[in-house]
Parts: sequence; C-alpha cells; structure tokens
Amino acid sequence: MTRKSWILQTLAAIGAAGVVAVYFLEGAPRFWANWILWFVFLACVALGSLFLVALQHITGSIWSVPLRRVPERVSALTLWIIPVAIIALFSLPVVFSWTQPGADKITPLVLKAAWLNYPFFIARLAVCVAFWVMSYYLLVGRSMRQDITKNASVTVSLQRYSPVFMILLALSLTSFAFDWISSLEAAWYSDIFGVYLFAGAVTSALATTLLVTVFLRRRGRLPAVTGDHLYNLGGLLFGFTIFWGYIAFSQYLLQWYADLPEEVFWFQQRTSGPMKPVFMLLLIGHFFVPFLALMTRKAKKNERRLVWVSIWVLFMEFVDLFWLISPILGRGLHLGWPELAFALFFLSAGFLVLKRAMSAGEDMPVGDPFLNAGLRFHLQ
Amino acid sequence: MSEPAVYGVLALFPSAENLLTAIPKLKAGGYSEIDAYTPYPVHGLDEALDLPKSKLGILVFLMGAFGALGAFGLAWWTNAINYPLLMGGKPYNSWPAWIPVTLEGAIFFGTFTAGLGMLILFNKLPYFGHPVLGSEAMPDIMRDKFALLLKKPTDSPFDPDAAAKALRAAGGDAVEVLPEPIHEKPGAAWWARTIAAIAAACLVAAAGTVGAIKIFPTIPPMVNMENQPRLDPEMPDSFFADDRGMRMPPDGTVPRGDMPILSDSPQSGGRSLINPLPISARVLERGRHMFDLHCAVCHDRLGTGKPWLGSGYQAQPADLQSSTLRSVPDGYIYWVISQGYGPMPAHAADISPDDRWAIVRYIRALQRSQDAPEQDVRWHAIGGRKE
Repeated sequence: MTRKSWILQTLAAIGAAGVVAVYFLEGAPRFWANWILWFVFLACVALGSLFLVALQHITGSIWSVPLRRVPERVSALTLWIIPVAIIALFSLPVVFSWTQPGADKITPLVLKAAWLNYPFFIARLAVCVAFWVMSYYLLVGRSMRQDITKNASVTVSLQRYSPVFMILLALSLTSFAFDWISSLEAAWYSDIFGVYLFAGAVTSALATTLLVTVFLRRRGRLPAVTGDHLYNLGGLLFGFTIFWGYIAFSQYLLQWYADLPEEVFWFQQRTSGPMKPVFMLLLIGHFFVPFLALMTRKAKKNERRLVWVSIWVLFMEFVDLFWLISPILGRGLHLGWPELAFALFFLSAGFLVLKRAMSAGEDMPVGDPFLNAGLRFHLQ
Repeated sequence: MSEPAVYGVLALFPSAENLLTAIPKLKAGGYSEIDAYTPYPVHGLDEALDLPKSKLGILVFLMGAFGALGAFGLAWWTNAINYPLLMGGKPYNSWPAWIPVTLEGAIFFGTFTAGLGMLILFNKLPYFGHPVLGSEAMPDIMRDKFALLLKKPTDSPFDPDAAAKALRAAGGDAVEVLPEPIHEKPGAAWWARTIAAIAAACLVAAAGTVGAIKIFPTIPPMVNMENQPRLDPEMPDSFFADDRGMRMPPDGTVPRGDMPILSDSPQSGGRSLINPLPISARVLERGRHMFDLHCAVCHDRLGTGKPWLGSGYQAQPADLQSSTLRSVPDGYIYWVISQGYGPMPAHAADISPDDRWAIVRYIRALQRSQDAPEQDVRWHAIGGRKE
C-alpha cells in the first residue's frame, strides 16, 4: 500500500512539474484552459457522487444502501474543489471573453454585464463551493458517524435534507456550468447547458462508482455486493448515457435548426475543421459505444464489460470537456504534452485522494437500518 | 356424457419457499410441463421452471428498428425526394431534423409491439378464459397462496390421480383436477349478433358525426390565420370613395421589367426591335413548345397557314413560309405576335416577351427547314460535321 502511494506521489510530483512548465513554455491561455478543464472534471465527479448519495436518500431505494459508501467516499473530492477553484480564479482576466478589453462594446456581453462581472462571479463561486462543502459534511460526514453511533434517526434526517440539496445542486451546477464553460465565450447562449453538464457529471460519477465498487469487491472488501447490485449500477449508467445523448442532441438540434449567427458560431468552431474528429468521437464514444455495450441484460451483469465501459465513459467525459473548452485557444487541435502533464498530475493526485478516502469509515454504511434489506436484494 | 378431458392438476402451497422446493421434486418425478401461479413475482421461479427466454425482446427490437427506419425513411422520402422543400436554407435531406421523429417511431412501434405482443403471445388474446381462472383455488392464488399446475402433455399419457399424489408428496394441498375448457365454434346466431352489433356501432358513430356537423357546422376547429383584416382582389370596401378595395396604380406606372412596344406598325417594329435571345438548342426547344401551344392551331405546325380548325374560322391565317414573311426582320414577327394583325389577336398577355422571341427563333428554323439551301442538306447528310 505504501509502495503504491510512493509511486503515485512521484507521478503527481512529475505531473506538477509538467503543469508548472506548461505555464512558462506554452503560455498562460493553454495552462488555464487545461486548469479549467480539470477543475470542471473534478467538480463533475465530486458533485455527481454527492448527487448519487442524495438520490439514494430521496428515492428511499434499498438495493443501493450497501453501495452508498462508495460515492460517499468518492465525494471526498469535493474538498479539493476549494484549492483548485481558488487557483482557477486567476484565469478570469486571461481566457474569459467578457474580461477582455473591448468587451463593453459587444452587445451580447453588455447585456450580460449584470451577471458577468468580477464581484458577482467570485461571489457565486464562493457560495456554490461553500454549499457543496457544507453538503458534503451534512450528507457524508453524518453518514460516516452513523457507522459508530448506529443512530437510525440520522437516516431520516438525511432523507429530509436530500430534496433541499437536490434543488440547490441543480441551481448551483447550472450557475457553475454557465460561469466556467459557457462564459468562456460569453456571447453564446444555451439555456440547457447546465443540464448538459449535469448529465456528464452523473455519468462520470456512476462510472467512478462502478470502478471503485469492482475494485473493492475484487479486493474482497465488499463481499456481500452481488452481480445484481452491479447490474443496477450498469442500468443507471445505461440510462444516464441515453439522458446525456438526449440533452446533447436537444442542445445541438435547436441551435442547428435556428441557425442564428450569435449561437451557431459556437457549434461551428466545434464541429468543423480540426475539431470535427473530436466531435465525431464524442458522438460515437459518449453515446453509441456505452449505449450498445450496455444494452443487453447480460452486459450489465458482466463485471469486465462494466469496468471497460466505465473507463471509456470517464475518458469520454474528458473528451467532452476538451471539446467544450479547448476551442477558446483558437483554431486547431490543442492536444499535446501539456494535456498529458495535466492528466498525469490530476489523475495521480485524484488517485491519492481516493486512496486515502477508501479508508474513511466502514466499507458499507453499517449504521444504516436498511443495510440488511439492501444486502438481500436480488433480481428476478 | 363422457368425462370431460383433463387439462391438468393444480395444488396450493403455503409459501414461495415451499413452491420452489416442490418444483425439483416434481421434475424428478418426470413431470415436465409445470406452471406456477403466484400472487406476486417470486425470485428464482423462472430459473426453477426452466422458462425459455422470452421472444418478446427480439420482437420489440425488430419492430423498434422497423419504426425507426420507417419514420426516418418517411421523413427523408417526403422531404428530400417526393416533395423537396427548402427550409431555412438547409439541404433537402436535413437529417438531424428527422432524428426526433425517428426516436418516436422506434418507441411507438416498440411499445405497441411489447403491449400487444404480451397480450397475444402470452395472454393468448382471442382466448378469453383459462382453466385456472375457473378453479376453486383462484381466490387463494390472488391473495396469499402459491399454486403449481401439472399440465397434461399433448403427446404422452397422463394419470391425474398419480399427478395429484405427486403434488401432495411435494407438499401441496387442496389438489383439484382442472377440466379442459370447452371451445365452442360460434354458430350462425353468434355471427349474426356480432355483425349486427358492429353495424349498430357504425350507425351510431355515423349518426353522431353527422349530427355534430349539422348542429355545429360553423365552429371552425382552429382559426389560425383564416380571419385577417385584409382586402382581397375584387372586394368592395367603403373606406375608399369609389367603394372598391382595389386601387388603381398612379398614372404612368409601369410594371417592373416591362418593356412596352413603342413602335406602331410591324414595319417600324421590324426596324427597331432586335431579338435578344441567342440561337441555342434551349431557345429553339422553348420556341417550339410555345409555337405548338399558341400558334400551330392556326398557322399549322410547319407554319404553312393551313389551320387545324378547318374553314370555320373565316380569315385565312398567314403562311409563315411565304417569301414575304421569310424576308421580314425578326422584329416584324415579334410585333405581330405582341399586337395582333387583322383578325389575329394580340398575344402580349399570354406569352412572355422572352417566349415571343423564342417563337420568332423557332419560326426562322421552321422557314429554313422547309427551304434548306444545299449545304444545309449536305451538312446534315454527313452527320452534322462542317466540311
């Protein structure tokens, strides 16, 4: 265990050196584009996991109780949003179109000036992050303490808080998506964009949950979790893949059909020229591959299949964010060693966080009164 | 009357666990056709009964694919092939716009196949009864008991007493022997009743529809843009002093693109008007078409002036092949087509200027065809090659 930590720490250190080198060798815009990409990715996985935790409370589903500790532990990433977000704030004057000189002469930006200005933008980020961290302690911290106290009333109060969390998460995630991706090219409009990011966040959180569950199960730490539990996770991943496809297509179709210059330029940058292969990869890889790979009942019970699809879905979430963000750097495919360095740093640091999080609390929420019923769950 | 044929033997079990343990025992006893009836879905029952995988899935998939292809094909064929419509400057085959209807086609056909397939394949829809529904055990099965049925195989002997014994040995009680349901062929009276009922339903529906139309004839279902505060051509309107909705254009107005003929005789027209069209196959083809439509009826298709209408029409149409008309300039013929000549009416209202000029080009070709110089004939004889 310590040996592997040492390897991860070394990789993270190399990655960190690479990340710093990007700033000085490739310029600030390239650095900030990548930083925002991983900031959003981190928030997606963390908040998607919190969403899964709250989803279980809000629906009162019993089958997922033995699995709940996995998204609870993964959502420990929420705390790491704080430093990443603070650093990301320094990108505001560099890559956001509404901070550039001359923005006060562009009509759509002037109309949005009441929303897109430094004090309000920073205040929104502060409120959102504070809410997420607070929710992490409320939803996950109390659930962890329940392992020891075995106090059943905690479950009831978690079920009461979850709907409130859901509504505020929807609002905060929408604001986050508008601020940190849409407003990079602030002239663009898309009301559905918050839902789009949400769909990506839940698919990537489900994929992470599946991977961690299978990892722990192979280590023998979740012996009571059966193939039927995995089947349900696979079903959710399948469902949210369709949801993502539906939302992504809804956004595309409306703007493609209306063909308004102030909207369609955004898609034109991302569907033609060097970004066209990325767009096709996204269309096929983010929707058709998991859709077809998870369609049959057998596939959702196949552990190997689930692992590969989950890894692929996480990779596609990266491709999605790359597709959304990298065109701000200008025409061309901005893919090279800087992206590799960032991936190395954030993945190894993320694994270190997850590794530590895996020892938090018990492997299953042993204080939850529904745990035994959840362990008895099996499909028809 | 002989004993009714046996359908199978039914027994009740107190719990789902008893049911599941009984099934292997009965299988070991050689009973292969076992069916279970439970108040709620029981885990592991499908496996215990060795139920084959449902065919409904593949059926739903095929029909869903059919619905998707059908909807996409319909949208594509109507919009891109049969009646091409240009919408918002997009290509005729704007396939992203067909995707929602494709999705809905797939879902529509898939769900209807699933629903109807369940009713027909598994509930055997035209068959309205099931022996178990008439059994004594049915109320218990619907409440809190679990039943197993040993069905009489079609191809091997079946002893109901032995089956009852086997069921009791496996833990069942309240054993009953279910008779084969009697299927009666519907007689003439049944058919008469059914047809009369359908006819009566049609009559009531038709009468209702007619009544509704008679009672509410003037209620339009939708008034989108039917009623507009606008004046149509020829409509009266008291707003203007002359009570007419139509206005006269101001004096001296000319239509866009209009080129009035200012010369007052064919001779002066021949001097001042010049054919703007090139001599091309397309112009000649257009000229032939318009000539055959408007001119040939009097002047003959070759322009000889022998009318198809016979002598009923008093005047003699001009012979376009005459040496006089061969020698007049193009503008002369154009002027005559436009303004008329003697009894020939003016055609300016029917034939556009370009078409008139095309007719002139064609008349020239007709004239040359009937009086070809020798080199034209030679040129034609050697296949159109210049010497």
